[in-house]
Amino acid sequence: MESALPSTESSDPSGSPVVSARGLERIYGEGEASVRALDGVDVDFDHGLFTSIMGPSGSGKSTLMHILAGLDRPTAGTVQIDGVEITDLDDADLTQLRRDKLGFVFQFFNLLPVLTAEENVVLPLTIARRKPDQEWVDQLMETVGLADRKTHRPAELSGGQQQRVAIARALVTRPSVLFADEPTGNLDSESSHQVLQLLRSAVDEFGQTVIMVTHEPDAAAHGDRLIALRDGRLVHDAPPVSADAVIELLKTLG
Amino acid sequence: MLGLTLKSLLARKWRSAMTALAVVFGIALVAGTYVLTDTTNQAFDEIFVKSNEKIDVTITGRERVDQPDGSVPAFPERYLGEVRAVDGVSDAAGSVFTPGSILNDKGKSTGAPFAPQFISSVLPVRLEALDYVEGRPPRKPNEAALDEAAAERGGLRVGDTIRLVGTGAARPYRLVGLTRLGSASFGGSSISQVILPVAQRITGKRGEFDQISVAGRDSISPEELKRRIAAVLPESLLVETGTENAERQASDVRDGLSFLTIALFAFGAISLFVGSFVIFNVFSITVAQRTREFGMLRTLGASRRQILRNVLVEGLVIGLVASVFGVLVGIGLAEGLSALLSGFGIDLPGNSLVVVPRTVIVSFLIGVGVTLVSSMIPAVRATRVPPIAALSEDVLQAGSTRLWIRGLVSFVLGVAGVALIAWVLVGNIEGGAGAARIGAGAVCLVVSIAIFSPRLIQPLVRVIGWPIARFGGLTGKLARENSLRTPARTAVTSAALMIGIALVAFVTIFASGLNSSVTDVIAQNVRGQIILQGPGGFVEIPPEAVRDAETVQGVEAASGVRYTQARVPRAGGTAVASVDPRSVDRVLEIDLVEGTQADLRALAPGRAVIGQKLADEARLGLGDRFRPLTKTGRRPELEVTAIMASGNLDFLGEVVVSETQMDRDFGVKADFFGFVRVKPGQDVEKVKDRISRTLDRPYPTVEVLNQDELEQRQREQINAILALIYVLLALAVVVSLVGIVVTLILSIYERTRELGMLRAVGMSRRQVKRMIRFEAVITAVLGASAGLVLGIVFAFLMGIPLEGEGFVLSYPIPTLVAILVLSALAGVLASVYPARKAARLDVLEAISYE
Ligand SMILES: Nc1ncnc2c1ncn2[C@@H]1O[C@H](COP(=O)(O)OP(=O)(O)OP(=O)(O)O)[C@@H](O)[C@H]1O
Ligand SMILES: [Mg+2]
Repeated sequence: MESALPSTESSDPSGSPVVSARGLERIYGEGEASVRALDGVDVDFDHGLFTSIMGPSGSGKSTLMHILAGLDRPTAGTVQIDGVEITDLDDADLTQLRRDKLGFVFQFFNLLPVLTAEENVVLPLTIARRKPDQEWVDQLMETVGLADRKTHRPAELSGGQQQRVAIARALVTRPSVLFADEPTGNLDSESSHQVLQLLRSAVDEFGQTVIMVTHEPDAAAHGDRLIALRDGRLVHDAPPVSADAVIELLKTLG
Repeated sequence: MLGLTLKSLLARKWRSAMTALAVVFGIALVAGTYVLTDTTNQAFDEIFVKSNEKIDVTITGRERVDQPDGSVPAFPERYLGEVRAVDGVSDAAGSVFTPGSILNDKGKSTGAPFAPQFISSVLPVRLEALDYVEGRPPRKPNEAALDEAAAERGGLRVGDTIRLVGTGAARPYRLVGLTRLGSASFGGSSISQVILPVAQRITGKRGEFDQISVAGRDSISPEELKRRIAAVLPESLLVETGTENAERQASDVRDGLSFLTIALFAFGAISLFVGSFVIFNVFSITVAQRTREFGMLRTLGASRRQILRNVLVEGLVIGLVASVFGVLVGIGLAEGLSALLSGFGIDLPGNSLVVVPRTVIVSFLIGVGVTLVSSMIPAVRATRVPPIAALSEDVLQAGSTRLWIRGLVSFVLGVAGVALIAWVLVGNIEGGAGAARIGAGAVCLVVSIAIFSPRLIQPLVRVIGWPIARFGGLTGKLARENSLRTPARTAVTSAALMIGIALVAFVTIFASGLNSSVTDVIAQNVRGQIILQGPGGFVEIPPEAVRDAETVQGVEAASGVRYTQARVPRAGGTAVASVDPRSVDRVLEIDLVEGTQADLRALAPGRAVIGQKLADEARLGLGDRFRPLTKTGRRPELEVTAIMASGNLDFLGEVVVSETQMDRDFGVKADFFGFVRVKPGQDVEKVKDRISRTLDRPYPTVEVLNQDELEQRQREQINAILALIYVLLALAVVVSLVGIVVTLILSIYERTRELGMLRAVGMSRRQVKRMIRFEAVITAVLGASAGLVLGIVFAFLMGIPLEGEGFVLSYPIPTLVAILVLSALAGVLASVYPARKAARLDVLEAISYE
């Protein structure tokens, strides 16, 4: 492995943004039936910040996140992660990028049912054939509150616990940025709260950069910054206020 | 990642085991065939090596024309004197070793119906290979010895009386010794020894030997001795060292058995081919179901190669496990096959099973190879799963191949398949090469159909599912729609069954055609109401038996027919038959194209009736002369006096000569059939009984049959072979049923949530079961009907070139319908476990299932 373990310390805390997008456009389909899901989005995400993306259904949140994470390609525009242009990388380079710099948390917990909680957590390292740093893994299991559930299988865990395992898995490689698409979409409020708290502490304790798509004003309130989309355009970008204020904001967006 | 692969395999134990099972049968058949033939070959090697242990040089008749029974001509005794005179010879003796019948005192055979029995002469101790375990060698004309195993089978002991039959009447002999050939096993066959003059008389070889065995002085090498002996003997004799002789005989046996080996391998290949469909399907479904998992692994940084490896390693492990079981089952199967074959009258020799490394290696290569190849396409599809699939809410179908590629591949394979088969049919390619091409062509065609069939599934399932949807209520309708959901899956599952059923239909139609053709040939050509034949119609009968039958009261005429092979210039190996001109027109109905029945009666040495086919091939017309090469090395000149219609399944061959000529120039001294014509007004059954009684004592091996019984016997033989083929094809059908089971299980797993919902809104367990059962029946009937159609088409195509041989196809409709019904029932059987599994789903768990 030529690249050293990526750690949050290695990226410049003060200087250039971790993720930087310019002029993003994404058009689905062709001609009459085409949909302009993103319509000229410029946005930067700084190191160690927790950003929430909100907006009405169909406003392009998922599309934006997929493109930022290199899961989809924009019709026009560029995305840089840690200063590296990713929109023209091939599959092998993208694979390497995911191993080194990205972490994902999904709405569906997406754990492998055949592996234990801890095995699921170290899975990204196993895939990359890296030796897990046991101290770090232990610390993560502790942080997500599952130190005593290491050997449980996903089926033996609640939804909230499964999602916490997924977060630990996303953190285990110390990615430059962690993407989460509606991570609480499938959880009750108590579990949601724990998961958001966890993301919050990842930012506070490990200096993790987090970008999260959410529908829930409560969730957005946990972040450092709230951006909102409407019809594929960035229409709001400010630190979040109270949940009530967010609800107001959403109303104005329609 | 390897650990992960193994874990996910283990987590899906049941599915993995079923997948492995799909190839276990095929591997087992291959391994079993190897073990069986190795065991048999080793036994024969031992027999021949041991037989020649004391012999330095052997002298036998040289084979001039290939005979179906592999027999070589005997040669005159006088050469023995010349051999003895060669410098370096210390001992030399002539002997006889000829097929015959060994009976107990009651006239009952001491062996299985088809097991070969031999009559041989005792050699001087210096040359004799048989050890006497009890008693002593025969010394007087009325004494005989028998191999220990045969004596045991027949419950015979020293002092008992046995009867031996060769080309004459049965005669009693006192059993004076029991023999054994080292530790060698003879399988079902047996050897009786008598003194030389007796052996010569029994076998009709007065003044002749089958072999001269020579022991040399110690000072001379067998090679040198062979050279010296060959120098004084004519070209017509084959001189070999004892070792060469043993090796040649062993390799002849090997060649003889190769037909069986190839046939067994072919059934193994069929089973593996069907298995590969099942594996392909299981992997395709699994990959589709794991789309989100693969997408997730990709977001976590797994590369395409890692995904590919993940799937292929699963294939590898399943292949390895299947191979281990395949080899183990195969070794057991070798015993089973051997028992199966001996049940059909083929008793192979062999002591303990021989398992050589090659058997294991080849089995593993095949097992792993087939599994890997079958999982290759699904594995490549898995690598095409994009990381974003992890985020999608519903399970994506892993990118299936584009339609035009499918169409093209299917078309190319289809054309290749047809071309291969046409090549064989048009080009008249015979034997293994032809069979291999037909096989390859059939494989191409079947794969082509399987690739293209998802397109056909929609209309076919609509038709086949109609009665079920119409009368099966809601469950029937749902079942039909479910079968249509993933046409590719239904197509591959039923294609697996299609292969087995197509072959079953094909052999059924073919056997039925053969049956009716044989019946036709007998009805059209045989005027004699009573037929004499040797045991099972495999062994010749003494001509005296036919002569004696003629003297029975109520018999108008009796006439024997003999067969041999000769080589006719410009035509090659040709079947030759002989008739007795005095009575031929009364017992046989020969359809002459040129010439008259008077020419048949005038058949004498120097004259021949030939078939139309030979006349065309060798460009012979009435009055032309030709010189066939006979098995004894003669070239008698024959004049064509009549031409008969060809195409009677070679009942009279392509050349008919007189019995006298057959005896003298073709070296055949025994009849194969005797045909008896009953005097007008006489009761056939009564005459038949009288003949039976007359022949019973002197010729106990002769079977006396009326026409119906003969047809019955022929049919029984064809049906016995058919039954053997059914048993072997059953393996392939079972594999495809396993395929139906696995596919159902997988689709139930996939539809857990939906099934839970159906139960939640009030569907009963019985309804769920019924729905699953209907799905299985639709798949089974779909495969079976496609198989029937394919089988009928193949049989029709294969029948075309055989028409000239007198082969007429007939379609046994009731049997074909029965196959269809049985397939539907097999579908029901295959659905038992999946249906129960589906019905047992816990509603709550099913709907909260993620
Ligand atoms: N694969 C696709 N093909 C065509 N159109 C698409 C595709 N994916 C998204 N769209 C369209 O692009 C627009 C943006 O979709 P996107 O999924 O980004 O919305 P979203 O903001 O994530 O919505 P939600 O809150 O419902 O998840 C929508 O109009 C959607 O219909
Ligand atoms: Mg979305």
